[in-house]
This record gives sequence, C-alpha cells and structure tokens, in this order.
Amino acid sequence: MSLLRICAFSKSLNRCSLFERCGLRGLRVDHCLTTRNNVVRRISETPWCLQRRHFSPLFPKTVEGKKRIFEQSQLFEVLEARIQQLQSDGILDVQHAKVQFLQTPSSAQGLTSGKGPKRVPWAEKLKQEKKKTEQKLQKLKNVEDKPPSKSKHSKGRLKTPGTSLKTISTSVSSASPASASPPKASASPHSTAAPPPKASASPHSTAAPPRKASASQHSAAPSPPPVSPHSATSSSPPKASKRKGKGSSGQGKSQSLTDPKELAEVEDAKVQFLQTPSSARGLTSGKGPKRVPWAEKLKQEKKKTEQKLQKLKNVEDKPPSKSKHSKGRLKTPGTSLKTISTSVSSASPASASPPKASASPHSTAAPPPKASASPHSTAAPPRKASASQHSAAPSPPPVSPHSATSSSPPKAIPKSGQSDSQRSSKSKMTESQGKGSSGRGKSQSLTDPKELAEVEELESQGKGSSGRERGQSLTDPKELAEVEELVRKVNAQLSHLTASSTNPEDPKGDSQQNRYILLSCLSYLETCVFNGQVEHAHRFLQSLHRSKKRQHLNTEIHNIMMRVWAKKGALNQIARVFIRLEEAGLKPDAGSYCAALECMGRNPSCSPQVISRCLSRMEEDSLSVDDLLSQGVFHRDERDMVLKAIHRVQPDYQPNVSASIATCSLPLVRDFYTKRIDHRYPKLAFTQKDLQERFSQQLSIEQACTITIDSVEAHKPVTEDMAKMRAILAEQRTQWRKELLQVLRERKMFLFNNINSKDHKVPKIYPYLCVLDDWEYVDIMIQSLAKLPAIGESLTFVASDLGLQIYNKYTVRHKYHNKLVEKLGTVYSDYTGLLAKDTKVHDVLPREHWCQLEMKHSSGPTLSGNLTPWPYIVTLELGIYLLDLMVKNLKMNGNILNPGHDGKLIPILYHMYTYRSIKQIGFIKPHPILAQMHQRAVESTSLTFDSYVMPMLCPPLPWTSSKFGAYLLSPTPLMRIRWVGAIQHELLLEKCENENLHAVLDSINQLGNCAWRVNKPLLDIIISIFNDRGSEKLDIAPPPLEAPKIPHIRYDDPAYTAAEKAHWKREAIYAKKKCSEMHSLRMDALYKLSIANHMRDKVFWFPHSMDFRGRTYPCPPHFNHLGSDVTRALLVFAEGKPLGPKGLDWLKIHLVNLTGLKKKSSLQGRLEYANSIIDDILDSADNPLNGKKWWMDADEPWQALGCCMEIANVLRSPDPTQFISHLPVHQDGSCNGMQHYAALGRDVGAANSVNLMPCDFPQDVYSGVAQQVEEFRARDAEQGVKIAKVLEGFISRKVVKQTVMTMVYGVTRYGGRLQIEKRLQQIDNFPKENVWEASFYLVQQVFSGLKEMFQGSREIQDWLTDSARLISKTGSTVEWVTPLGLPVIQPYHRKRVVKVKNDLQHLTVMMSSDATALPDTVKQKNAFPPNFIHSLDSAHMMLTALHCYSAGLTFVSVHDCFWTHAPSVDIMNKVCREQFVALHSEPILQDLSNFLLHKYCHGILSEMKNNKYVAYRRLMQVLAKVPATGDFDLQQVKESKYFFN
Amino acid sequence: MSTRMWRAVELAMRSVCCHTHRSRPCVLPGVLAPKGPSGPRGVLMPQRRAYSSLDNALSSGPGRPPPPPGTPATSRHHIGDPALAQLVTQQLGPDLDDGKTAIFECNPGPGVLTQTLLNAGAQRLVALEGDEFYLPYLRELEGCHNGRLEVVHCDYFKLDPACGGRTKPPTMTADKLFTDLGISEADWTDDVPVKVVGILPRVQERATLLKMVYSLFERASVYRYGRIELFLFMSESEYLKMTTRPGDMFHYRAFNVLCQMAWDVRLLHKEPWESFGGTSARSSTPKKGKGKLPNDHLCLVRLCPRAALFSSGLTPSNVPSLLFMVKQCLVQRKARLVHRLNQLSPDSGSKLLSEMGMQEDILTGQVHADEYRRLFELMEQSPDFKDSWLAQAVA
Repeated sequence: MSLLRICAFSKSLNRCSLFERCGLRGLRVDHCLTTRNNVVRRISETPWCLQRRHFSPLFPKTVEGKKRIFEQSQLFEVLEARIQQLQSDGILDVQHAKVQFLQTPSSAQGLTSGKGPKRVPWAEKLKQEKKKTEQKLQKLKNVEDKPPSKSKHSKGRLKTPGTSLKTISTSVSSASPASASPPKASASPHSTAAPPPKASASPHSTAAPPRKASASQHSAAPSPPPVSPHSATSSSPPKASKRKGKGSSGQGKSQSLTDPKELAEVEDAKVQFLQTPSSARGLTSGKGPKRVPWAEKLKQEKKKTEQKLQKLKNVEDKPPSKSKHSKGRLKTPGTSLKTISTSVSSASPASASPPKASASPHSTAAPPPKASASPHSTAAPPRKASASQHSAAPSPPPVSPHSATSSSPPKAIPKSGQSDSQRSSKSKMTESQGKGSSGRGKSQSLTDPKELAEVEELESQGKGSSGRERGQSLTDPKELAEVEELVRKVNAQLSHLTASSTNPEDPKGDSQQNRYILLSCLSYLETCVFNGQVEHAHRFLQSLHRSKKRQHLNTEIHNIMMRVWAKKGALNQIARVFIRLEEAGLKPDAGSYCAALECMGRNPSCSPQVISRCLSRMEEDSLSVDDLLSQGVFHRDERDMVLKAIHRVQPDYQPNVSASIATCSLPLVRDFYTKRIDHRYPKLAFTQKDLQERFSQQLSIEQACTITIDSVEAHKPVTEDMAKMRAILAEQRTQWRKELLQVLRERKMFLFNNINSKDHKVPKIYPYLCVLDDWEYVDIMIQSLAKLPAIGESLTFVASDLGLQIYNKYTVRHKYHNKLVEKLGTVYSDYTGLLAKDTKVHDVLPREHWCQLEMKHSSGPTLSGNLTPWPYIVTLELGIYLLDLMVKNLKMNGNILNPGHDGKLIPILYHMYTYRSIKQIGFIKPHPILAQMHQRAVESTSLTFDSYVMPMLCPPLPWTSSKFGAYLLSPTPLMRIRWVGAIQHELLLEKCENENLHAVLDSINQLGNCAWRVNKPLLDIIISIFNDRGSEKLDIAPPPLEAPKIPHIRYDDPAYTAAEKAHWKREAIYAKKKCSEMHSLRMDALYKLSIANHMRDKVFWFPHSMDFRGRTYPCPPHFNHLGSDVTRALLVFAEGKPLGPKGLDWLKIHLVNLTGLKKKSSLQGRLEYANSIIDDILDSADNPLNGKKWWMDADEPWQALGCCMEIANVLRSPDPTQFISHLPVHQDGSCNGMQHYAALGRDVGAANSVNLMPCDFPQDVYSGVAQQVEEFRARDAEQGVKIAKVLEGFISRKVVKQTVMTMVYGVTRYGGRLQIEKRLQQIDNFPKENVWEASFYLVQQVFSGLKEMFQGSREIQDWLTDSARLISKTGSTVEWVTPLGLPVIQPYHRKRVVKVKNDLQHLTVMMSSDATALPDTVKQKNAFPPNFIHSLDSAHMMLTALHCYSAGLTFVSVHDCFWTHAPSVDIMNKVCREQFVALHSEPILQDLSNFLLHKYCHGILSEMKNNKYVAYRRLMQVLAKVPATGDFDLQQVKESKYFFN
Repeated sequence: MSTRMWRAVELAMRSVCCHTHRSRPCVLPGVLAPKGPSGPRGVLMPQRRAYSSLDNALSSGPGRPPPPPGTPATSRHHIGDPALAQLVTQQLGPDLDDGKTAIFECNPGPGVLTQTLLNAGAQRLVALEGDEFYLPYLRELEGCHNGRLEVVHCDYFKLDPACGGRTKPPTMTADKLFTDLGISEADWTDDVPVKVVGILPRVQERATLLKMVYSLFERASVYRYGRIELFLFMSESEYLKMTTRPGDMFHYRAFNVLCQMAWDVRLLHKEPWESFGGTSARSSTPKKGKGKLPNDHLCLVRLCPRAALFSSGLTPSNVPSLLFMVKQCLVQRKARLVHRLNQLSPDSGSKLLSEMGMQEDILTGQVHADEYRRLFELMEQSPDFKDSWLAQAVA
C-alpha cells in the first residue's frame, strides 16, 4: 500500500516539476510580453522594481545580473551627481536648452516613471553596442555619400554640423533594426528565419513585410526602388543626414570632444540605442525576431559603455539653459552631442521595455500578443516610434497627426536641473531621433494612423500568435508547443468573443494611488493659490519635485502654477514650469498652453513671434486652438486673454464653437435621440421671469451656505429661566469667540513661521486655515458647539463636519472669486427659456440646451470649474485642528449657574474615549453644565441647516457632465459615494466618453425637473400630532417626555436582592437605549417637518444624483420623496392635471394599493372595493382624527389619508374629469429584482409568479411564499414540531415579504432571521419568548420555499457570484457597464488604515474602498448579483423616465416605484413595460460576459505565471459560460397589466 | 465504528493513567485526543461559506444540522498528561480533603484531572462540562465516587451571558448553578468558598478574563458567592500582558491595571503547549506575532481576589467610576496624569498628586494599579468630586 503511495507521490512530484518547468518557460515569455505592456504602467511604479521584475528572469544567473546592474547603477550615480552639480551651477546655456527641449519629448513618457534606475538597462546596451558601432559607421559613411535632402519640419536643426552627426547616427540606428544591421541579423539565425514564416503565417504579413522592406531599403541600400511614396521619402532623409553627419562630425567633435573618432564611436553607440526604439517598433509590427541580435549585443558592448558614458558626461557638462519655446534648437554644434545622448535616453524610456525585451529571444514573441490583447498598448508604441523617427529625420514632413503629437513632446523644455539620468536619456533621445530617420521607412508607413490602426487590428486579431511562434522557435520548440496550444485555444475563444465587444478598456489604472496623492497635492496648491500665497505654492511644487512624490505629479498640477504666473505676466516663470514639466516627463496639455497664451495676452509687449512659436508648438502637440478653447477650463477673464494673444497673430481668428455635440449612440436610446419629432417635452407652469426670480432666491440662499429656519415645535413662551440662560449663553459666546479668535491667530502665526519645517508635528494645513476670514472659522466653531448633543459625539464626526463646512464655504467663495456666478446667472436666465411656459417650444433636452447656451456665452469663465475636492483626510485634519483649539481653550466658570460664587474655570469640552463594541473611539463631550444650559435655554426654536439640505427653489442645473449639475453653488458629485477614499468611480466617469453618459444624465435631469409642493392640510395634522404626544403607530416620533424613565439604581441598598439589582440594571440599559433611539427619531422628524413647514407655500425641486450602480436619489437628505410614509404623504406635484375619464379610478385603485389590502384582486376588484368603502374614505377625509379612523389601519396610513382627501375633493367637485389633481399615483414593481432575474433567464415559472405574463389577477409572490411556508408549517406541526405549533395562525404575507424581497438581493439566513424576528416582534399577541426560535424556523422555511419557485434565477445568480469570485481572486475589482452606458465598479476592498496624527488624538481612518488595496473577495462576490440587478433596474427606470419625458409626462421614481399623475398612469405603464422589453431584448448577459472576458482575460498571456494561468483559464471558462435561458416570450410583458401595479 | 473504538481505548487509557503516576510521559495526550475518522467537526472542515447566498439559501436545507452524535462539539485543550494532572492537584493546595472548599473543574473532558483530584482526596469536586460528548463518561465516574463528584452540564466560561434571556445548558446563570449546588452567598472577606480550575478558552481568552474581572468589581455573577479563586491555564503571552508592570508603555493598559487591582496574580507552573491534548487545530502551533511576547507555554496562574479590595471605600456603586477613570487614564499612557485628573475632577490634580506623594510630571503609564485605587478613593472623598462630570457621566 504505502509503497504504491510512495510511487504515486514521486510521480506526482515529477509531474509537478515538469509542469513547473513549462511554467517557467511560459513565465519568461510572459515577462517579455509584459515589458511592453508596462510602458504605461511604469509611470506609476518605481523603475527599479520594474527593471528587476522584468529583467531579472532574462538573466538566469541573478548574481551576475545583479552585479552588472550594480555597476551600472554606480556609473549612473556618478552621472547624476555631475548633473546635479551642473544644476546647482545654474549656468544656463540657452541654445543648448532649446535643443533638449525639442528632443526630450519622445523620451519624456518613458521617463516620467523611470527616474534613474530605469536607465540601467540602457547602460548595458550602450556597452554592448560599442563594438558594432564602428562597423556601422563605415557603412554609414558609404551611405552618406548620397546627397542630403532638406527637412522642412525639423527647422533650424540640421543647420549645425554637430547636429548632423546625430542625424547620422539616427539613420544608422534605423538601419539596424530594420535590416540595416546585417551583422546583428546574421548573428542570430532566428531573426532572419523568423520574418518570412510570419509573413506567410499571418494576415499581417502583408502589412508587415512592406514596412520592413521600406525600412531596409532606405537604410541599407538605395538599390531597391521605392515601392511606396513613404519609403521614398524616408529613404532620402537618412542619406542626407548621413552626409551632413560626416561633414559636420568634424565640427561637432571639435566643439565638445576633441577627438573626432571618439565622437563617432559615441554616436555609434547612440545609434544603437536609437535602434532599440525602432526595434521596439519592429516588434509591434510583428518583426519580433530581429531583436534577437540585441541579446548578443548586450553582452558584447559592456566594455565600451564606460567610455561612452564618460563622453556623455563631458557633453553634459554644458549647462542646459532654459529654452524659450522650441526655437533655434540645434544651432549650437556642442548641443548636438547632447542631443544625441538625449535621443538615446528617450529611446529607452519611450520604449524602454522593448529593448529589454529584445535582449531575449522571447521578447519578440511577447510584444505582439500584448498588442493583440490591449489595443492601447499597440497604439502607444507606434506613436512613440513615429515621434522619434520624425524628430530624427527632419526631412519628411509630419504626415499624420500621430507623428505630430509625438513630435510635440520634444518641445517640452528640458530643465537644466534635471537628473543626469534624464539628461543622458535626453541626449540619447536625440540620437534615437536621428536613428529614427533610418527607421523612417518604417515609421512612415506606420505614421499613417489609419494604416497603423489596421496593422494593430490585424495583429491583435492574429493574436500575436505568430509572435509567440517565433518565440518558441527561438527557445525550446517542444516544450513551448504544449503551452502554445493551450494558449491558442484560449485565444481563439477569446478573440471570437471579443470580436463583438465594444471599446476595450484601459488596463485598470494603477493610477489610483497616484491619484490620491495627486489630489491632496492639487488641493493644497489650489488652496495656496486661492489665498494668494504664490511664493509658498511655488516652493511647494519645487519640493514636490525633489521628493519621491514627484512621480505622482501630472500636468494639471503644473498648470495651476502656470495660471498664477500668467496672472502676473511672468512669462519666464511659465517657461520654467514648462521645463519642469519636461523634466518630470510630462506633456503640456491644453491647460498649459492656455496659461502660456494667457500670459502672452496679458503682456502687451509680448512679440507675435513668441506667440506664434507657442502656437506652432501646440500644433506639434496636436492641439488646435479650437481644442484649446473648448477643452480648457477658464477662470475669470482667462479665456479672453488667450483670445487676445491669438488675435495678435491671427487677427481674424474666430473660435469655432459650432462643434456639434456628439449624441449618444447606444442601441437602447439611439432612437430616442435621433427621432424626436413626436417628442413633447413638458414645460413648467411658470413664466420665464418667475423662474429667473426663483433663481436669484436660490442663489442668495446658497451664497450664505447656511439657512436658519423656524422649528415646528410649538413656540413656548419665553420663561424667565430661558431668558436668563440665553443671556448667559450669549455672553459666554462673545467671550469664547474672542478667545478663539485670538488663539486661532496665534496658532496660524505659528504655523506660518513653520510652514516649511519638516517637523511632523506641525500639521500642513496652513493654507486651509486661510481660505476664509478668521472670524468665519470662529463662527463655524461656535455653531458646532451648539450642535453638540449632551451625550457627546464621536470625534471623527465632529471634526469632519467642521472640515466639511469650511470646505463648502470655500467652494462658494472660490466660485465668486472666479467670477463664475455672474456667468451662471446669464446662462441660467437663458436656460429658463426652455422650461418656462411662456416661451417657444424646444425640441432639445435640458442638458443639450444648457450646452448650447454655454457655447453661445463662451467668453468668461468656464462654468464647470473644476475645483479639486479636498480629500477626506484633509478635511478631517482641519476639523481636528479646530476641535483641538476648542477643547484646549474654551473655558467657563464652574459656578456659572450660581452667580455670586466665584468658581474655578473649567473646560467646556472634554476629549475622552468610549467603546463601540471592541473599538475604542475618541469622543467629544460637552460639560454637563453646558449641556444643561443649552437645554434650559431652549434654543431649538430655530434650526440651522447647510443650504444644500433644503430643496431648491428653482429648477436645478442640468447635469452636463459628471462634474457639473444640481445645486447652483454647493458642490455635488454626480455619483455619491459613502465610502471614505473611494475615487475609482470618479475616475471611471471621467474616463467614460461623455456621450455615453447622456442617457443617464438626461434621465437624472428629468427627475430633478419635477416641481413639488407641500400637502398643507396633511402637514397641519401631522404637526399637531407631533406637537401633542406623537404616535408610534402612525410613525410620528413622540417627544422625549414620553420616553421611559431611567430607573436609578441603588446598589448600596441592602434591602434589594442581587436579582432585583440585576433586573434594574437591565431596565436601565433598556431605558437608555430607548431614550437615545427616541431622541434621534424625534430629531429626524423635527427636521423633516420643519423643512416641510418652511416650504409650506413654496414650489421646490429636488436635484438628483445617483449611487455607484445608477440608482437615483434626491440630494436633500432629510425631506424628500424617498423618505418614510410621512414625508411621502407630505409631497404632491406642484403642477396639477385634469383627471380625465380614468383619473378618478386610478386614484381609488391607488388608495386600495396603499392600504395593502386586496393585493390579489384585479384592478376592477380593487376599484369595486374602493367604491364599497366610499363612506369610510369620506369620513377619513373629513374627520381624520375624530372619525372612524379607517385610514389608520392602512399599510401607509398618511399617504392613504392624503389620497382619501383627494378623492373626497374630486367627488365633491362639479366635474370629476376636470378636477385638477396634484396627487402622485404610484405603480409598484411586484418584486422587481425577481422580475429582472426572470426576464434575464426567460424563466417561464418565475415570470408568471412575478407578473411578467399577462394574467387576469395579479400574482403575488409574497403570498405565494407565505402559503408555501404555511404548508410546511402545517406538516411540521402534525409531526409534532413544537415551534410549528406555536406559529399557527401567525404566518402572513407581511412576515415573509421583506425576506423574500431581499433574498434576490442576496440576503443571508442571518439577515433574513433578523427581518422575520422584527416582524414577529410587531405582532402583538405573539409570545415573545418564542421569537428567536420561530424566526429561525421561519427563515429556513422561506428559503426552501423559494428554492422551489425560482430555479432559473438561481442559476444566474450563481453565475454572477462565481464570476465575481474568480475575478476578485485574480486581484481585480468587478466592473461592468450597464446597458445605458454607465460604468459601474464595486468599491469593496480590503481595509487600509490611514493614520492621522494630531495633538488631540491619533486617528486611524479605515479606508475600505481604496482601489489600490486588494479587493475584498467575499464582498465582491456577495454584492455582485444584487448590484448588477440594481444597475439593471436603474437602467429600466432611466429608460422609462426618458420616454415619459418625451411623452410629456411628469415622472418621478423611488427606485422600483414609479410616480405620475393619475390621468397619465396608463401611458406610464405602457412606457414602463415597453422599456422593460427593450432593455431585456438586449443580450444583457452575453454582453456582460463579453465585457468581462475582454476586461479580465485579455492580459492572460502576459500574466502567465504558472498558477495564475490556471486561475485565468478557469475564469475564462466561467465567464464564457452564460447561463442558458428558458423560453419565456419577452413580448408578453407588454400585455401584462400587473407588471407594475 | 472507529468512534466507538476510540471510546473504548480512551476509557481503558483513563483507568490506566489514573493509577500510574508520572510513569507514562506525554504519549497520552495525543492518543486521548479524539481524532476519530469523523474528525472534530468544524475544525478540520472549517465552515465553508457558500459563495452564493441564494445557493446557500436554496441548496442546503434547513439550518446547520445538529452535530452527529459521537463527536465533541467544541475544540479545546485538555489536560491529558497524568503527571500534569498531578502537578495541578498539588498546586490546588494541601487542604483538598478538608471539604470546606469546593473545587469546580471546568471542562474536564476525558477526565484525567478529575480522576487525579479524586484520588488525591478531594471531598467536593464539581465537574462543569460544557460538551455533551464527554458527559456520559463523567456521569459514569460520578457514579463511582458516591457524592464526592458532581457532574453538571454547564460551561463555566459562559455563565451569565451578557444578553440575558433564556438560557439553555450548557449556558447557565451563576444563580442557578450555585443554588443547585447548595452554595450560599458569602461576604467578601470570608474564606475562599470555591476554587475553579480549568483552561481558558483559547479563542476568547481576553474577553473571558475581562468579563470575569468586571463581574468581580461589580460583585456580580459568581462573585456574589464570595472570593472565588481561579486556577487557570492561560497562554503565556496573556499572562505576561496581565502582569505587565507600570512603565511598559506598550503593554501596560487598563486591562492589566484592573486585573492587578482585583487579583493577586501568581504564576504556578509553565507547561509547553505540546503537553495538552485536544481538538484545537491551533493546539500545537499557537500564533506567534513577530516581536511580540513569547508564547510557547500555557501558564497555570492563580488568580486570587484581593480580600482588601472593597474595604477602603470602594463599593459596587462607585466601581463604574473607577473603571471609567482607569480606562480614560490609560488610553494614552504617555499623557500626564495630572492633566487626566484635572479633566476628571476639575483642578484637583495637583492636590491629589501631592497627597499621593507623586511627582507632578508622572505619566499615566507609570502608575501602579494600587495607586490608581487609592487615587480614586481620595478623589471620591474630595468635596469637588460630586460636581465633576465624571460622577454625572457614569451615573
């Protein structure tokens, strides 16, 4: 036995090792693949890691590799040191600088990420290539005999002899990669062999060979006739350059290096560097094999590198100067040398990974697959390549926008102070450019974007399999064969699947972490600038550049500084920032040029040449002036200044604003946007003037940030005591205010003096303390004092509230500061023309109209001013800082309530700790005396709210993008996220193409445009009850007087036994809990009613936003139509509509629906029932509180009462059909989640039970389940199960409803039990001691009952869960796109702890949705099914909203409950059903599967680590296996009148 | 089948070990540990969470099935080594046979210690076994020792559950237990009425200890019946933490202060983890945090409630204030004590310190447990205290 086992074991071991070996192979290939992929990612990673990660597998002997790397890094350190020296010297060679300026760009991208370390691999190559250089040089010379052609593009460049050298080198390089370097090629047999098979094998081949051919032709020999115009052009430049190179070489040398020979060598070396990039190119295009020679070279060239390096250093000794814009680049001969070096570097960063890749034969294989996987990656390299090429070869004009763009980066002004590594890289870049020219042939063919795209596509489809093949041929063909087969299978499957899928996503951003750091930097800088602390802002940015945060910087952050300098007219400073940008490897964007132009515009003395130079550089960056004006974000008069500058050069320029807005092209809504002849968008019942008036009211409220309203609590007469307390408080407050003001000033002074200190104890919040006036901070603090409840409040809460208030005030100020408000007023007053009843009918949607208007009023600031929100941590820090001030400095007399005695000063606030379960949290508690004073002063007669808590008094701003909409001034996110630190949604929305969001935005706008008013009679009744004794039954919170008394425990009294004491203790705990519950309920009701009361005579609007799944919510938190029965009852449509023939019937049916009775009756039955109880209805309406109180027994009593009153009014009106009704009538989805599941699975049984099928009577799934459970119970009771007997007669629809409803959303047994327990508790005569057992029993029965009823939906749910689990296991977050185009990402991650250190207390903030952390698998998988279904129901709601809008209906929704006027219910129902059918006619699950496959499986090859690969394959299988559907005919839904009822 | 076999083996072994003192070293624990093929439920097969709630809901029938008969329901350590049992017996005191003090043995499991104690002449031994699995054997044993051993189905560490409500065995109220056993309430200063010996549940060591120390201060639960003395095996790290001295700013916390205030803590014996049989998956490899306290042993610790605890002003009615004060003071161990005192009782900090003879700049983490008690007593006597918010906050 055991022997056998041992044998088996060893066998398995063998197998294991075999597998491992295979895996290793795969892994290597994989690495090469990744290298290219990583160009993008690199930016965010430390280059060193990358280097290690990607490179090390290539060197089997790590020790050796390490050593080498170490040496190189040492070398580079030396270099760096030198450069720094240079920088400090600060000698600026202007011309020089300019040169760099031009060249750097190409390198820039790569560079960003890669500071020093990345360069290391290059160094190696440098060394390796030396030997070969000589050979090449000779060849070059031969070539150079040909006459040079002139390059228009490159301007001034080639004038210098030195420069020419470079060009030469360039050509060489290009030659090498293509076919120019025969030696290399010959070196490895593979390389030569490879290309032909490829050609034959793949469809690419057609594309690829010509390219190669052209390249080779021009570089190598003139003999082959130019096949294509491209090749022709390309061929000529290299020669020319060579020629010059020779001629000039002498000069160049003389200037920088004395020995011409050396120079030549250097150049050669560089040339080779250049080649790398080109080779990278080659890779992209599928030339892969060529790279093989590189590996060899790597080794060979080591020795020489050092020499070269030294030379490089010499070159670098020249101090780079600031360059003005690109002008006179290459004029200096000396410069040319440098440029060369730059080019090399550029090559490295830009395509740094490819070179590495090239080192090993695998590399060839790698890039292509990648390319196929992610279209992005493919796109990128060509661009770079073209960039280098064109820069290198000046002669060919930039053929394509691609090339243009690429060229632009060179313009970036290189900073003199750069690190050596960067410099060297720059110089290399130039070289690469030069070489690029040789590669030209290729480049040209590639330059054409169209062609490129084609090639890429081909490649991607072909799947880089060819590349893989090559790779294999290079390594061990046999072993790889197996792997390959697997991969091919998978790929075939994948390509098949992805063929149909839509746009490929970016590989999800590692940029998240960057983003977070960036956000805090941005907000800091913005705040500084806002405060006018320019000097400090400047220094801050500089320090960022010195710190390791440097890699996280982006262009935006630099633009802020540029803006400031532009205001000051400091063009030289702007130039400096450009240099910095360059240094950091960033590309200037529209904002940067805007600032530059603005500055020129402000500066009347600025010469037109400067402007035109700037414009031309802009063009090189592929930015047009129109782009600039449409993309840029302008504050104040910036836009006008930019225009002014432009006009100086092009006096007749007119911004082209007519650019039409792209329309949404999603299949679901395409018709909605294109065919709108029949659309009748509703108008509001107000005149334009009226609306404008309302706008200014709303504006003044938001301007004040807070609003104080009267409380509904009965105004008690002011007693003597109250007056006294108020007086004392007022006196104290002035005192405290004075103290706080003084302390705040002192502390600010202290912070100011230490603003640059590195001491961690000094919080970096000085700028945030300056955005408002000192007294405003103090006011906010004093206000927070009054808000503090007597029992205290958690520190985090108080602090973040303080911080938030300051932030809100700041944003409003900021908007005023930017002169944004005036413009907002203008645009809005025009906008009202769309909505008002007295204007012409428009056929555009509010959003479209707004956009048009904005374009019309283009001058002045941009409305969607993008102020960076303060990160949560910052708000918190600020809040704690202020809180600390208060705790430490606010004191009062301990005997303040007994005047005459002079007590000691005691602090009024205490910082202590309390325990929430096992967590210890900081707590802020007012001194009991203070609490007592507050209580006795009864100041609650007025309430102060933030302005955004109130509904709006005018129609909200339409959402035009994810950054603009809703309130006039208060910042509102389109997607509200309650998790700290979640920014992934914002990023996703930003990335999402705007037109795809149109449907979502429009539907949200539509919901927000519904006008409301308060149902006054009902409000009066409710307030009267509220001020009387409340009523738990009617859900009106009773006043604190009704709360149970907390018994006083007398532990000491020996008269009581221990049992009694224990009992007391329990009672006391219960009473305390009850009191605090009642208090919060009471306050909640107080807020709601007070707001309602305040709005009593007004018309108002609820701006809407959504959650991350697209479910919409009104923004005002307390009083809105989403609330409880009470608040819903209080709201009616402001606009009334005549009931028409069927309106009254609908009102009656609505009333019956609200009672919760007759769920199983037909509509007719309900109507009859309503008619039969008409007396009760009228009685309820007339004597709500004293009559028969029929309404009180309804499920939703208050809404029922409202409906009773409406019906009574209708019945008493002369003509019921003409009665103007304001009451919303609801139509409720019957178990909406289940409906979506049933429709997804086309599950006949389920469809029937949730009313997807036409039926005479509504099916009620809850009753069904209840019935089933009752059967189970009866059976069990017979068998003598005790609890089943107890439950007899208690099982009702109501008991099981919530559990059934939530089960589709994934409620667990545990949660289900709690729900049922709650229901059972509510049943008065149910024996309380059995509740636990009964609920436990019931939840089991409910679950098994459902199991029988919904088989199909279970499969779908399982599939979703499985997919999410596997996705999450691979380390990704689950992401999808709804059929309406809304991208959704699940924000569940493992917790990350952030420490906030402060004097008062060190806080730990748990970030549970930080996208940089690993996903929380359990949450991801459990939440996916419900979230997905919610995203579907939100899509359904939005579709319905859009179409109702076009039909002229008033429509609002509470998730799956749709509201409209009684007369339009029928239309709404029709729309609702049609849209449901339309939605589910889309292949939703298939689309989801494709999307997920595309998103999570495309990287499969590059990610092929042994065990990971298995996981991916499994994922792929699961994702591809969409659950089968049943044969339910979806069209039947259209006939089902109980679908929503 | 094998379970039954195992039972037979175990019974046989038990009788053997009870009579051989120290002759058989640590072979037994392993053997005794119930490792039948059916395995300790829930340990070898950790409850696998169904990945779909619906799946969970629909596929797996009603609730968690009751544990199959024949396996222990809990995983825990046992004293299996007779030598160790002997040692524990000795530590429990020489007066085992005088009958004044009852001995509670918590979760005896296979009953090795029980047998040893009986052999040593214990007159009143109560075996509180929480796991039904072991009850039959213990009952058997009970029968053989006419009245010296009582077996109760009860988990000592789950006495008086916090949520209240109805209790089902093995959960129980202390009242019921003591009434059933006929033990009456006693004054605090009386002799020790009951000695409890057992192993602290591994999973919730700290929570269990905290619960015990709280009920001690409140004189609730078992402590109504006098000063119950505990002989507990606890993990070494927990013991070390509990006995941390002032000045160790990291480990010195409110918990330690309370324990040291309430109990006279004495280490009796250290035994490596390996000596304990049991079904706990972690039995052999206790978690060892990096750079943390050593945790290679289980320590037998005697926790003897201090007789003088309530004699100088402390009563169950002002205990909440004391607890509150200690916790507030020790949240930040590097804060000045005087500041904390000033907060709790305005402006009396320096006065209190001088009365205690302490330095003005003493930190909260440097104050001994006894000193905290005296500080509190002083503070409470001062006239200012009644107005201070501490008194009001706690009341």
